[in-house]
Amino acid sequence: MTILSHTKRLTLAAALLGSTAAAGIAEDVTITVWSGGTGDSANYRIDNIKLAAEQLSREAAIRGDELNITIEGQGWSGWDEFKQAVTLAAESGDAPDIIVSGHEDLGPWSQAGILRPVEDWVYLDQWPLNDIYPNLIDVATYNGVVWGIPQDAEARVMYWNRGALEAIGWSDADIEALPQRVIDGDYTLYNMLDDLAAMQEADAVAPGQGFMPRPSNGPDYWQFYQSFGGEMLDAETGKLLLDTEALTGFYQFFVDAVARGVVPESYLGANWDDWHRAVSGLTAGAWHGGSWHYAQWTRSFEMENFFDNVQFTLIPAGDENGRANSITHPLVYLMGAGNTEDEAQIAADLISIASEPRLNAMHAVKSGHLAISEAEVSVPLYAEDRWLSEASEGFLPYVNAIPNDADFGTYWTAMYKGLENAWTGTMSVEEAVETVKADVTSALGDKIIVK
Amino acid sequence: MNMRALTDGAREGTAIAVPSTPVPPAVTLPPRRRGKPRGKPRVSLLGLAMLAPSLLLLCAFFFAPAIFTGVFAFTNMSTSTGIGKGDWMVTPVLLRQLRDAGLSEADEQAISAATYVVDAEHVARAEAGGVDARFLSDIESRLAGETYDNARDFERDLRDLPSKPRSARALKGAADHFASSVLNRRYATEAAFAAALSTVAPGLAPETLSLVTERAYTGAVFTVENFVTLATRRDTLRIVGNTFLYVGLTLGFNVAIGLFLALSTFYLPKRVGSVFSALWLLPRITPVVLYATLWQWFTWENGFIYILADTLGLPTYNYMKAGVTSAWTIMILSNGFVGASFGMILFSGALRAIPVQQLWASEVDGASRLQQIRRIILPQLRWPVLFVTAYQTLSLLSSYELIWLTTDGGPGTTTTVWALDAFKTALWAYSGEFKYGLGAAMALILVVVGLTLSIAYLILFKFDDLVSRPKIEF
Repeated sequence: MTILSHTKRLTLAAALLGSTAAAGIAEDVTITVWSGGTGDSANYRIDNIKLAAEQLSREAAIRGDELNITIEGQGWSGWDEFKQAVTLAAESGDAPDIIVSGHEDLGPWSQAGILRPVEDWVYLDQWPLNDIYPNLIDVATYNGVVWGIPQDAEARVMYWNRGALEAIGWSDADIEALPQRVIDGDYTLYNMLDDLAAMQEADAVAPGQGFMPRPSNGPDYWQFYQSFGGEMLDAETGKLLLDTEALTGFYQFFVDAVARGVVPESYLGANWDDWHRAVSGLTAGAWHGGSWHYAQWTRSFEMENFFDNVQFTLIPAGDENGRANSITHPLVYLMGAGNTEDEAQIAADLISIASEPRLNAMHAVKSGHLAISEAEVSVPLYAEDRWLSEASEGFLPYVNAIPNDADFGTYWTAMYKGLENAWTGTMSVEEAVETVKADVTSALGDKIIVK
Repeated sequence: MNMRALTDGAREGTAIAVPSTPVPPAVTLPPRRRGKPRGKPRVSLLGLAMLAPSLLLLCAFFFAPAIFTGVFAFTNMSTSTGIGKGDWMVTPVLLRQLRDAGLSEADEQAISAATYVVDAEHVARAEAGGVDARFLSDIESRLAGETYDNARDFERDLRDLPSKPRSARALKGAADHFASSVLNRRYATEAAFAAALSTVAPGLAPETLSLVTERAYTGAVFTVENFVTLATRRDTLRIVGNTFLYVGLTLGFNVAIGLFLALSTFYLPKRVGSVFSALWLLPRITPVVLYATLWQWFTWENGFIYILADTLGLPTYNYMKAGVTSAWTIMILSNGFVGASFGMILFSGALRAIPVQQLWASEVDGASRLQQIRRIILPQLRWPVLFVTAYQTLSLLSSYELIWLTTDGGPGTTTTVWALDAFKTALWAYSGEFKYGLGAAMALILVVVGLTLSIAYLILFKFDDLVSRPKIEF
């Protein structure tokens, strides 16, 4: 090691100061974006932020500033690992600047202090945010605070194999009338079981493959709870609500489906790719999934002539207490806490730009999601997409979202565990329901109403 | 030395050589110091310095996590509470819960009140907070004396001012200086929260103030609730049962196959035996993710077994995921093969330590292979077998990664064992609700069970005998 002479030190200091001064004119910012639910077709969750960065830099240049934004994006297709990554990174003070996650995370994450409320950083009454559907803004609101900007919307639906319906004697007119019969409550989940069993008897589908539900946990299973009259939130008190009668109906339906031989006892936990291959290959009589699955089947699984081969409806009612329904699970752009105010402001500006109709339409059309604003519906790319127009028209009026509540995760985990127990025959339906009841009351006390 | 003494020596040698192979006993024994009384052991600084890195690593990667687990186990820590210290915050949801706990409507309204007042005091506060002077002067000149009961109205008026800042954050930050509200605001200390609360709602009774302060804490609190939950929930017994079944069956497979492999390779010509041994090591040396993927190729739809079964006209399905019996079989086999190779290495080493003269002598006496195994080899493998059993019990009890990567505890939760459930409770949930406290309590129970079993094994194996000075000196 050599000792720097006085002159050399001064020169070095001057050089360092000079470089700092130069850096003061140009601002270099790195924004990290972590996104869940991001498979091959959902790349615009992150790519739209990159496009927004380009736009924001150009706007800054017009104002006379030099703003260089580098976007470091990372996508996860699975939710478990994504939520683990975000939570642990945030707890260690390294939260990403922008998070794309399900709206149900607002409750726990805002309470834990790992989010910045987006409403503090943007004007919600300014375009394009003021054009976003108000019900979607409500979904991104918790404790009266708007925490995120909706990134997409969707419907979760029941898909039907037209060929298999024809094989058991359904005419084209019958098949076309099915969506309305489902809405009217004239065709229930138990009618479906009868028809699926008939399809298997007619060899239109293989034994045990009549019904192919979603193979793993998801908001979808709450739909069947709603089919039997269940509500997740008590409208009067705003508390979580466990309706044991509806939960019993929901579990009993899947146990009956196993008993009728239309779905195997050990079905849950099946591999996703196998499922996509099977349903897009029209192996099943009926299956339920998301509106975005259309994009995956037609893009990645080479499904052709979708509309000729598949009918789609709401999830039918289970009994006279329930209703035909569909759950939407909007993802939201959230702002992670822990960065500087300047970074947070740039993140907020990027989110606003990424929510503009043309940009969001690219995400919607490529990934099979529904529009977030009225103007987006008029973007030609979106307007000419048959699937999105039909899904928006057929389902959006009937969709509801799961509640934003810091404790909903506990309830959800217990619900799915109960379903697994009943479905696999590990417990009777009564035992499974009692277990859910015991688990949630012991964990949540009077934060949940059990009826 | 007669034959009997040789046998005894060999047995002792076997016992010492296998479980504590790293150091041959004859070398480690200190030289006897005849005639000198035993004093205080001398501590060498150099020795301590040499040990320091490993002690540091031990503290960082073993003791610290174990202590954290122990502490977390007695908290309600979860995603909502966050890890570490929380803040104090009143939210509309909390106010609703407080109403259930007896808070009066008047108190609720007082606490939830939000007012924005443009007066000299608040202007001074904004000035001290660094709000732009021109903007502040606009506020003072145009909005002085105004009072607002919500942020949005105040912000709307601020945005009409000519010198408003461009960024939303700057404007809302300025508005904040004029607010009197505790709603949805985070306070880092209890004192700051109590002070703010007293300012906003000065009429609160002390007990109400203390109730609100207690409930407004967002962080984790100490509790024994996790253990009560584990003791009373219905799943516990089934998962304990699954764990026993998994550990028992896999252990049996490990030891039996390990022993079989060691014996069969022992009797094979040395070169052939080495090849077989090397092949059986593959499950152990293959990275666990790759090993799990191989099992998936083997058992999933259109995998090897699937195609084989299809050709033979047997039922075809995803054997790993879609059948309880097949999932259990795969779980035991995949874990068992890894353990079997471990047993094989240890048993092979122990077999080599048996004096070959004993086998020659038995052959002279006309003993068959089976008789050799039963009368000569197995009695001398007692220690290694017990060691493998003990080690593998503890290892299987706490291992979950291969199960997670293969059956993932399914179908349903039929192959879920305690360690996997602990991991999923704490760190793996689709809903994003990680219960760190409950998961830590489950892990702590595993640690206690492991420690108890270790002590039991040490007593059972007569560990003192195992590490005692050999009866013959080299």
